[in-house]
Amino acid sequence: MAKANELPTLDVQAGAAALDEDIPRVLRVLGASSIEELGWSRPNKLKLFVPMCGVCQGEKEEYTLRLGFQAYRRWPPSAQFVNPVTLDYAYPQDQHFVPKLTSPECRTHIAYPRNPQGSTIQLICCSATLEFYDVLHGVEPHHIWRETDTFFSTIMAIQKAFVSFYEGRF
Amino acid sequence: MKYGRQVKKNLTCLSNFADPGALHIEGFPTEVFRRQFVIENTEPFNDDPLQKAVHDLEVAETHLANAQAEEATAEHDVAEAIKEVKDAERAHDTVTVHVIHVNEVEKASFTERLTATLQQVWEKSYIELKIPPKAKDVFQTADKNPKSLMSFLSLTLEQAHQQKVIEDYCFGIASETGGA
Repeated sequence: MAKANELPTLDVQAGAAALDEDIPRVLRVLGASSIEELGWSRPNKLKLFVPMCGVCQGEKEEYTLRLGFQAYRRWPPSAQFVNPVTLDYAYPQDQHFVPKLTSPECRTHIAYPRNPQGSTIQLICCSATLEFYDVLHGVEPHHIWRETDTFFSTIMAIQKAFVSFYEGRF
Repeated sequence: MKYGRQVKKNLTCLSNFADPGALHIEGFPTEVFRRQFVIENTEPFNDDPLQKAVHDLEVAETHLANAQAEEATAEHDVAEAIKEVKDAERAHDTVTVHVIHVNEVEKASFTERLTATLQQVWEKSYIELKIPPKAKDVFQTADKNPKSLMSFLSLTLEQAHQQKVIEDYCFGIASETGGA
């Protein structure tokens, strides 16, 4: 189980195996036969790309969420919005590929201080993302990621923020 | 009916009146013929009031048997109609609820009355999912754009649908996350 004030430990083999195991479960719940049917893609064992969209002032805007499973399932998946062409994120040039989410449960930061040395990362500030623990963010005990949780809860937490707390692009 | 048969035992007039074999008609049971045709079309027993009375009793018994059979059929039809009405009412008053547990990726479906509140549906969902509730769980819609229903838990399914709080009867349970 994830812990507060503890840096995540990586285990790529376990992460890939857990993702292999969880994808069919998620597909079953969603009534889909493949991740492609959902518009998702899995370029390798440890990454999943999920399209997302938000509507702000009548304008529908699309985003690409990248999930990483290098510490999954003991820790939640890494989650960042990326440039849809490079499938990566570089600050500041890619900041407009990040949605402004302002939910109390899920808020986005384009350059969040990672350590005292001054490095920054894009942070989807939500206890269902790996980066949240990576920056040693404060967390209530009942919000801490459990090993019974799946990456689907990460996706849903972010999607829920899009519904009511989306304020356009950075 | 028993009285008529008892009296009949003591009489020979009917059996003597017509030979059953002689009255046989293809595809028509002789006894039925006797009851339906011979009895009702026999000349009255003018010279024997008792025989006439027995004859009349036999005719009446036949009519009664027919009426009872019709009554039984009618009662059966009424029972069937009532069942149909109840089934239709039940179908009108209930809906199939689909619920998924987002964190544990489980799903369940069950029938629920439209008068059930979202709170009741939420509570029943745990039972159907066989997953214990957690303190910071959130009840929400389950479409592509999930929306919290925590402010609407006192609404019935019907009210929630009418007020467009929900578009269908698909729900999700997700643990609250921390952030900000």
